[in-house]
Amino acid sequence: MKEIFKITLSLTVVCIVASLILGFVYAKTEHARKLNDEKIEQQTIQSLLGYGAGAKVPSDLKVYPVYRYVITTEKGETVLGYVLPIKDNKVVLAEMDLSGNPIRVTPISVELSALSDKAARDNAINAVLPKGSKSIYAQTIFVADQGGKRIGYVVPGVTQGFKSFIKLMVSLNPDFTVTGVAVTSAEEDPGLGAEIQKSFFRNQFVGKTIDLLKKLTVVKEPLPPNYAAALDPAKAKAKGLTPEQVKEIKEKHLKDNIYALTGATISSRAMTNGVVNTVKKFVYRLDKLNEAIKKEQLSVAF
Amino acid sequence: MSSNLKLIWNGLIPENPIFRLALSMCPAVAVTTSVENGLMLGLAVVFVQVFSSCTVSIFKSFIHPRIRIPAYVIVIALWVTVIDMILPVVSPDVYKKVELFVKLIVVFAIIISRLELFASKEPLIPSFFDGLGMGFGFLFGLCLIGAIREFFGTGQLFGYDILGFNPLLIMVLPAGGFFVIGFIMATFNWLEYKITGKIPTSGGAH
Repeated sequence: MKEIFKITLSLTVVCIVASLILGFVYAKTEHARKLNDEKIEQQTIQSLLGYGAGAKVPSDLKVYPVYRYVITTEKGETVLGYVLPIKDNKVVLAEMDLSGNPIRVTPISVELSALSDKAARDNAINAVLPKGSKSIYAQTIFVADQGGKRIGYVVPGVTQGFKSFIKLMVSLNPDFTVTGVAVTSAEEDPGLGAEIQKSFFRNQFVGKTIDLLKKLTVVKEPLPPNYAAALDPAKAKAKGLTPEQVKEIKEKHLKDNIYALTGATISSRAMTNGVVNTVKKFVYRLDKLNEAIKKEQLSVAF
Repeated sequence: MSSNLKLIWNGLIPENPIFRLALSMCPAVAVTTSVENGLMLGLAVVFVQVFSSCTVSIFKSFIHPRIRIPAYVIVIALWVTVIDMILPVVSPDVYKKVELFVKLIVVFAIIISRLELFASKEPLIPSFFDGLGMGFGFLFGLCLIGAIREFFGTGQLFGYDILGFNPLLIMVLPAGGFFVIGFIMATFNWLEYKITGKIPTSGGAH
């Protein structure tokens, strides 16, 4: 009987010490990790907009975040709340019902620069909502603005991959043509499904218009070698393809479906569905949002 | 000092975790589709094995023998999580590459078997070198398998195109992993038979 207490005590002590160490390390590294994540997110957005590695970002290029919240009102109705940056660095919460009719617009007291801090944002929103309503964060989209003109959107999306979720980001130009796809986190198998992160796969989406995307499927055919080389900038260089040739090859294959990765059809399908659904949903929502902005005559920053 | 070097050599070839002890075969098949993958997982294992071996060796008198296995699992999980938290701060680029592999390590048989067979009985310094040896042995094994599979499966090495075509696609698929490990294991056994003249008892035992 004495033995069992000794064992229990011993294991408890081991667990407590381990959790103390973990807690300490977590507390010490949390802030730096968050900053790094934000930095990586910013870099991903910039590279999707065409200002990756080394390219100089023009000074008048601004990326505004728009946060979508799902709000349950005190009467139990579900409405959408958009946190929108407006002119003069102010922020408003625009509420609308599910079919896109604006309900009201309330200024919220949070700086544009502090918007990315989820806790501060949530507090500011809850402060202006009537008692009894609840807000749940749903999604962030990024609107790129250059000199007062919208030049593109970056939309994050999630899709069910082979083992766990694949998080991705799609950049679109104002006509909703895909300009870039990035995988921000995925746990696909290295060597098989993880190839979705390679540029020859991701770049197959680039240039697809919204009409092409709606019909897009995955085909189990080998990627034509010419097309593969054109899709990967490093390979195109090694093969000595001129930018004109690359453009020509890409145009020729523009209407092709997505070529599945060898041995990773599920991951390829997951990515394709993810990109298509992300774009489709975004286009629908943005349409409603734009209408509401027009009706309410909001002077949004982008 | 020579005994320590011997421990490292021991882990590298005579008791190589994959080819001689036949432990942690799942990851050895699953991730070795390229040399780079093997290298990354191998490095992660080296760190966790060394840290866990040292920890267990220091605290071995505190751990009650009847709960040693759960205690070892906690020690390994602790180090894996600590590395998983510190690495993204110290070097986000490296973390992006090894992220997937670090989290896999908690359940590796090789680490817990080294804690049980070696670190729980020996003092700190030999445990350190044994952990280092076993880690490098695992890394060596993964890189060797990865190189063979990547070369024959995709015609590349370290991601650089060498052949320009895929000679044997099956090599990058899971079945190829079993083939390659089987052949290397057989080679190890054959070499031992040639050198010692005895039929090997360990290696591919299960």
